[in-house]
Amino acid sequence: MIFDDLRTIQLRYGFLPKADLEGLSQRTNTPLYQIHSVASFYPHFQLTPPPKADIRVCADMSCHLNGACELRAELETRFAKNGSDDVLIREVSCLGRCDHAPAVSINDEIFTKVTAASAERIARSAIAGEEIPEPHLEHGRVQCASDPYDENARYGVVRKLAETKNWDGVLAELKAAELRGMGGAGFPTSMKWDLVRKQPGTEKYIVCNADESEPGTIKDRFIMTHLPHLVIEGMIVAGLVTGAKRGILYIRHEYHLQEEILGEELRRCYHGGILGKNILGSDLIFDLEIFVSPGGYICGEESALIEAIEGKRAEPRNKPPFPGQAGLWQKPTVINNVETFANVPQILARGVEWFKTQGQAGSRGLKFVGVSGHVTRPGIFEVPMGTPMREVIFRHAGGIRGGRQLKAFAPSGPSSGYLPASMVDVRLDFKALADAGSMLGSGAIVVCDDTTCMLDMTLNAVRFYRNESCGKCVPCRVGSQKMTELLVRWTHGGLTEKQYRADLGLVEELCAAMSLTSICGLGQIVPAPVQSVLKHFREEMDAHVLKGLCPSGICFSASARAGEVQRVGIRP
Amino acid sequence: MSTITQSMDFVEITLDGRAIRVPEGTSVFDAARMNGTPIPTLCHLQNETPVGVCRLCVVDTGGRVLTASCVRPVEAGMKVVTNSDKVLNARKTVLELLMADHPSPCARQEKSGDCELETLAKAAGVAQPRFAKRTLSRGKDDSSLAIAVDHDACILCDRCIRGCDEIKNNFVLGRMGKGYSAGIAFDLNAPMGDSTCISCGECMVSCPTGALTNKTVLGTSIAAGKDTQGFEAEELLQLPVFKGVSGTFLELNRGAIVKRRFRAGEIICREGEFGSTAFYVLEGKARVSLSAPIAHVKTEGGGKGLFKKLTSSLAARDTDVRDGEARDKTIPIDASVDLAYGNPVAELGPGDLFGEMTCMNFYPRSATVIAETDVVAFEMLRNVLDIMMKNKSFRAQIDQNYRRRALENHLRGVPMFADLSPDFIEHLKGSVELRRYAPGQVIAQQGDTARSFYLVRIGFVKVSETYPGGELVLAYLSRGDYFGEIGLLGGGVRTASCTALDHVEVVRIPGDDFREMVERFPSVRQGLEAVAAERQAANQQRMQTVQSVPIDQFLSQGLMEAQSLLILDLQNCTRCDACVNACADAHDGITRLVREGLRFDQFLVATSCRQCRDPLCMVGCPVGSIRRRNSLEVIIEDWCIGCGLCARNCPYGNINLHPFEVMVEDLERPGRKKAVVKQKATSCDLCTHLKEPSCVYACPHDAAHRVDPRTFFSEMLGGGTK
Repeated sequence: MIFDDLRTIQLRYGFLPKADLEGLSQRTNTPLYQIHSVASFYPHFQLTPPPKADIRVCADMSCHLNGACELRAELETRFAKNGSDDVLIREVSCLGRCDHAPAVSINDEIFTKVTAASAERIARSAIAGEEIPEPHLEHGRVQCASDPYDENARYGVVRKLAETKNWDGVLAELKAAELRGMGGAGFPTSMKWDLVRKQPGTEKYIVCNADESEPGTIKDRFIMTHLPHLVIEGMIVAGLVTGAKRGILYIRHEYHLQEEILGEELRRCYHGGILGKNILGSDLIFDLEIFVSPGGYICGEESALIEAIEGKRAEPRNKPPFPGQAGLWQKPTVINNVETFANVPQILARGVEWFKTQGQAGSRGLKFVGVSGHVTRPGIFEVPMGTPMREVIFRHAGGIRGGRQLKAFAPSGPSSGYLPASMVDVRLDFKALADAGSMLGSGAIVVCDDTTCMLDMTLNAVRFYRNESCGKCVPCRVGSQKMTELLVRWTHGGLTEKQYRADLGLVEELCAAMSLTSICGLGQIVPAPVQSVLKHFREEMDAHVLKGLCPSGICFSASARAGEVQRVGIRP
Repeated sequence: MSTITQSMDFVEITLDGRAIRVPEGTSVFDAARMNGTPIPTLCHLQNETPVGVCRLCVVDTGGRVLTASCVRPVEAGMKVVTNSDKVLNARKTVLELLMADHPSPCARQEKSGDCELETLAKAAGVAQPRFAKRTLSRGKDDSSLAIAVDHDACILCDRCIRGCDEIKNNFVLGRMGKGYSAGIAFDLNAPMGDSTCISCGECMVSCPTGALTNKTVLGTSIAAGKDTQGFEAEELLQLPVFKGVSGTFLELNRGAIVKRRFRAGEIICREGEFGSTAFYVLEGKARVSLSAPIAHVKTEGGGKGLFKKLTSSLAARDTDVRDGEARDKTIPIDASVDLAYGNPVAELGPGDLFGEMTCMNFYPRSATVIAETDVVAFEMLRNVLDIMMKNKSFRAQIDQNYRRRALENHLRGVPMFADLSPDFIEHLKGSVELRRYAPGQVIAQQGDTARSFYLVRIGFVKVSETYPGGELVLAYLSRGDYFGEIGLLGGGVRTASCTALDHVEVVRIPGDDFREMVERFPSVRQGLEAVAAERQAANQQRMQTVQSVPIDQFLSQGLMEAQSLLILDLQNCTRCDACVNACADAHDGITRLVREGLRFDQFLVATSCRQCRDPLCMVGCPVGSIRRRNSLEVIIEDWCIGCGLCARNCPYGNINLHPFEVMVEDLERPGRKKAVVKQKATSCDLCTHLKEPSCVYACPHDAAHRVDPRTFFSEMLGGGTK
């Protein structure tokens, strides 16, 4: 496997020396260009010798709202006098620690709630050659309402199915429960499984998408920490129902702890006969392994994720065919989100009726949401589906911190766009949020207080997509860059009405082209933050562009103009 | 297509409101095309697997988003709209995005007006793109002899990549990086010319824009004569050496290769002449020889009566032994054989390639080649030679030729290797490897582990050492020279970097074989060690010199490099030219002194070889006859052919050509001799045969001095004066 080979080399040298890549090419009979094309694609791989302290400050939504730019600027100042060979300070995309912002990765270890002083201390230890172990955020398991099991009676659903083999029953129950995908798109799970089940052939795969990388999304991290057995059980059930004998859990490489927890749970399953050949003495087979992502938001796109497992550049495929028809190694593949799999044993163990009653206002089930940004108690909360957003933000997350007012919130990271405070009563539900012009997505609620500049937040979101675009198709690769440039221009203000009108027209055309012609969801969703802000915060946009006024004093402050404090969000 | 006609399963779809029937499995793109509705595209070619990345071929099939028609098979009942405003506007925006970053007009548009992007953009009415242009250039790559790469014009359509992989199975090209900074790359992102690319031209033929274009070679057409025969691309493609090369590409380079017929006795090329072609012998025999006398310029006389009776003459090394002269038995030339010092004549036959250095590096011809019988040969320009040299079977043949014929002479020509036993040379024939390097490519890197020993076969290798603050050129090596022994004999680490200065080919002897060689043949070891020690001592001395002198104008002019300088004090000098005349008188009327040069303070540093830090004069000598002694002074070996390249290369004008009238064989009339003027290069010898240089002696104003620059200028340097 090419990633394993590359990791082995990188572990030895800290980067990928050319001579070793040439050796790898000869040994494995892989063309040099293929090695380079993947090694240069994934942020995890380094083609040049790394500095002693590789400091990467998370630049995305929650960290941005929690002073990531100022942190980065301060670190740059602190290390400016120091030899630059030892330290490299740069941005990194969301590290999945949104509830403990700002997060900084130093030599691939992630530190949270970082201050300039603490980051400097850690970096100096790294320069001195000391170990800098990553602190673990979660300690001990939390009992969740979602868990149908006592600690000693887990995997009850698999136990029962191994006897009854009532696969149709499983599909019927999931259909009755109306379980939908929890990764963002909300596709009915039973339909997906049924499609794979009906495909001919015996080689099929179950893939769990645990690559959550959208800014604000941290719920899968929580589920894998506290309910790993439900995720694994859900995957086993999917395998049994569809006839797939192999499962792969694709986890982002920043989730070291969760990788360990899942690994331990897998060993327990194999030991207890839940996984492997002859599951619980039956003739059923299901093997499950963990695949650590070499990095990048695009790997969360299901077909890109499949490409990554195949050892290629994570570039989304043209669809159709969908993974259900031709997925991993072109075989029928079920690919679901962590939370979706975790929901399956809940429904099957407790019944459809239980599942239905968990929701509010006609919604079903429980939902894990991550709340971050300007709230008093950022974190992951298990709430009934259909809960009003107000309750999530103000009751569970403790409301806006520092006694400030709510200005806007993103129901699910940049992809959901920003909704104004006036819409805070919207319920956490597929339909309700879609009707509000947003989406339930992955439940990554990012909250902005009244000091927030919405143009800055739009730019921050678009820049994230620009940075994470795989570059395969033109509208996303070039469009996300041009969209960024247009917004940067707006942050400078000073446009005439005519120029602004022309820009708005151009943005509209670009939004249409991107959402209509991009290959995958990434390029298609780039317009969301822009369009939502133009819809709900139009006055603020106009004030910026035409009058050079930023209500939050971010875009036109003296220090911003002098370039002293560079807002990461408004860097081109 | 055959399966489609066999199955005959047809699907009915609606295309822009019109019902059509197409075979099942047809792409929407093809379905539309076959029914008279062509859809624009940039990334799709009929002979490549569709990838659907440019998104220009999008159509509306009623879905949430538009669909790329090139990758979408038709489905029964599908309603396809190709021309709605929604579709047309989306396409236009995509074109506008691409045009914003496109260096319009790109190389393709400029050359042939057929950049597909510019054509489509114009047709869609995209005039001035409203988006900002790309700010950071992705760069150009000029390293390939055959193909120019402009990364800014690349739209990442993937066509070249599929051409390289799918069509030609060469597996050189891929995508690199991610997002907006993604681009195409060769191998591990090597310059195209240094990569494993065999210049088959398929990428360039596939490219829709000016990102990959055919490089026009200077004088791309070899003048057609009565004995010349051009080629049609199809004819060339029949030859094994052009296997895998794109026909279109050969078509574009038509005229860069011709088949020529030489009658017996006809001269194919003459030593010293400039040229740009190489020859590959197909039939017949040719004789390669040197007509220049094998001797050097010797100046004698004077003594008591000073410059009364100074004369220069030609003398060979066995009659006039000079210090530090090479004792090589062979003269390296630009062919698959070397010539013997004593009898510089050899024969070339079918399968021999000559003129490679002239062709690749534009150096003068190193020898004269005459058709002995009727000869048929390919004559080609560098782009074609490059393609041939990258062809595996042709390379194997050249390789084989070298092992069979030249390796032994190459080794035996270096006196040090004279003791190698025939069985060991036989063994080496099996293990050595010929490797090519493009200009600027590093062959061995200072600090790296030493793994091989190298003999230079073609081109020039720069040996340099880096030190804090700069780079010091230790030597230029050419054909017959070797390097890599210091690292292998010493600490196992390269002490200097060896870089290809032009198109270089080296013979690589693996470290294990080298070790076996020095173990088995103590005399070779001693010889190598002695030379290594001398080289290292000289290098160290130079390095110390460099580091002990402050880096300033003095150094940058290379003055400190010289052990002896001729300076003219401009405050005293009346420009009477007595010095110049004296020099001429001392050297048969040929002055080696030009009263011009670099100025330092009030001094004009007149010409006299100053053993430069970067001895440019040595680069390009077609026969490697200008070399350095261990004292670092330049010496011109006996086999100088008088081409004058070193004289042109010397930035200080310190090398001059001295003409002599000699009797040589008349090439036009074999068997007869005729008097011709032959030139020999000379450099200022500081009148070593006299007590004092004649120029200094002759100066009536005490303005000319011969000085050791470091002592002479030390006061100024120490005092910090300018």
